[in-house]
Amino acid sequence: MNAFITLAYRQLKRFTRARSRVIGSFVNPIIWLIFFGLGWSEVFNFPMARQIFGGVDYLSFLAPGIVAMTIFNSSFISGISVIWDKQFGFLKEILVAPASRKAAIVGRIVGDSLTSLFQGTVILLLMFMIADSLKVSGIPFVLLIGFMLAVAFASFGVSLALRMTSMEGFQMIMSFLMLPLLFLSGAFYPIDTMPNWMQVLAHINPLTYAVDGSRYFLLGTSKFPITTDLSVLALLSIALLGIAMYSFERATIE
Amino acid sequence: MYAIEVENLTKRFGDLIAVDHVNFTVKKGEIFAFLGPNGAGKTTTINMLTTLLKPTEGRATVAGYDVVKEPSEVRKKIGIVFQDPSLDRELTAYENMYIHGKIYGYNGIKLKERINDLLKFVELERFKDKVVKTFSGGMARRLEIARALIHEPEILFLDEPTIGLDPHTRAHIWEYIKRMKKERDMTIFLTTHYMDEADQLADRIAIIDHGKIIAEGTADELKRLIGNDVVYLKFTNGMIECIKAEFIKDCKILPDGRIELGVENASEAIPKIFELSIQKSWKILEVSYHKPTLNDVFLYLTGREIREENGESFAILKTVARRRFR
Ligand SMILES: Nc1ncnc2c1ncn2[C@@H]1O[C@H](COP(=O)(O)OP(=O)(O)OP(=O)(O)O)[C@@H](O)[C@H]1O
Ligand SMILES: [Mg+2]
Repeated sequence: MNAFITLAYRQLKRFTRARSRVIGSFVNPIIWLIFFGLGWSEVFNFPMARQIFGGVDYLSFLAPGIVAMTIFNSSFISGISVIWDKQFGFLKEILVAPASRKAAIVGRIVGDSLTSLFQGTVILLLMFMIADSLKVSGIPFVLLIGFMLAVAFASFGVSLALRMTSMEGFQMIMSFLMLPLLFLSGAFYPIDTMPNWMQVLAHINPLTYAVDGSRYFLLGTSKFPITTDLSVLALLSIALLGIAMYSFERATIE
Repeated sequence: MYAIEVENLTKRFGDLIAVDHVNFTVKKGEIFAFLGPNGAGKTTTINMLTTLLKPTEGRATVAGYDVVKEPSEVRKKIGIVFQDPSLDRELTAYENMYIHGKIYGYNGIKLKERINDLLKFVELERFKDKVVKTFSGGMARRLEIARALIHEPEILFLDEPTIGLDPHTRAHIWEYIKRMKKERDMTIFLTTHYMDEADQLADRIAIIDHGKIIAEGTADELKRLIGNDVVYLKFTNGMIECIKAEFIKDCKILPDGRIELGVENASEAIPKIFELSIQKSWKILEVSYHKPTLNDVFLYLTGREIREENGESFAILKTVARRRFR
């Protein structure tokens, strides 16, 4: 328990120290929001368009996607700090401690997930200011979805980073996965209008369920039943967390 | 009862035998030094003893527990200062200590007091709220030593504790190490490639080269391997002949006219030589002596020098390289 709390504390502490990184993490979603969102929202500013986007304006349609994207990006990239810790030796300090490694890595992942969730929350509140049709009552549920998403991808990032030796390698894999997962998540356009092969990929993309579930709670419309969205995310985050725990338990310095 | 017992400990990395059937014991309360050049297998040995690497062969017990079978018991008993820095550079000195203490199960006032005491011990209390990124190498090293002491380990491992530090900081760290042994009754296992460090600090020294221990004993025992102290004399009025006395083991005339005497102990022999000279009314112009150093021992055993100068810059390069490319 000590190790869990301590590592979560450490990740949060580090987050508060890295002001430039915090600010940087907002840049990406805000650019998407402004240049992509506001740009297209004028194009889709005609009555028929609302039908495509499930009866809401484009910005409102986009909002859940941008929030999910923020959390997804920041939790995935948090894994890279494991590589930092390898290079700066802090990892050894944990590996040689008598504390439970499982508790330590879960603490670390939860800490990173909370910082990702914080970033997602800021973007979510921003969305409320510019999109019209969002429901305030949905916020707590979106945060729950966001947390599961963050745990899933922070765990994935940690497991990946434990197997990597260079930041460049990690960054390469990340940029390789990031945009396709985003475009295949239904965040920017509905899944139903995608070509068939893309729809198949969208169905196996975990991000899809986070976007869809958030849309359910913020807009009241969704493609999948909400129970499906929630159970997929819950199972996924538990599975990926389990893999991260297993990987860290077996980590050596060799 | 031994603090560390090692039997045939071996580590292979592919074809390379980094540590080769090493045997030694460390007594409780003793400072034991592994002295050897770069790549000798010092860090690999420490990594095995601290449960970070699995031995390929052989066994080791630390504080009475087997490092392979009971790693978590071993981990509770030991403190480590790694060769490469291992602090969280984004956090302050205090936070680094705090996190370590928490992970080892310390809490509340007790933890706070220990942190403050130890920061005082390494003379860093003024910097406790400074982020470690801003620390010099020596300050970071001292912080790592303090951190390793938080959980009151029985056995402390120090991997090249003064590598790359200036002489002033080295002297400080030696002081801390001596005090830890004396005041805290700690067993200390340290590695170094500095002869003077091993000489100054260690109760016993094992010289390691290419993964093998090639000699072991106290500094004096090791120096005795290569024999005598040597006294050099120069007399006025052309007195160039060998002196005979029971305390003089051998005598040579050097080409420059000096006389070289082999003696058991130069400090005791020199007064006797003075007495003798007065009796015989020889006039001494010059006297100097040489005691064998561990460097001479290493040279004698391996035919090479540890070469502190080159060795050192190389070691630093290596540390940097490791950090960048690992
Ligand atoms: N993880 C590893 N994989 C492969 N070879 C390794 C590994 N770690 C160490 N070695 C090799 O094992 C040998 C011993 O290395 P070790 O780090 O134990 O030496 P050392 O005595 O600590 O040297 P230094 O003074 O440079 O720290 C070296 O030849 C090194 O290259
Ligand atoms: Mg080493």
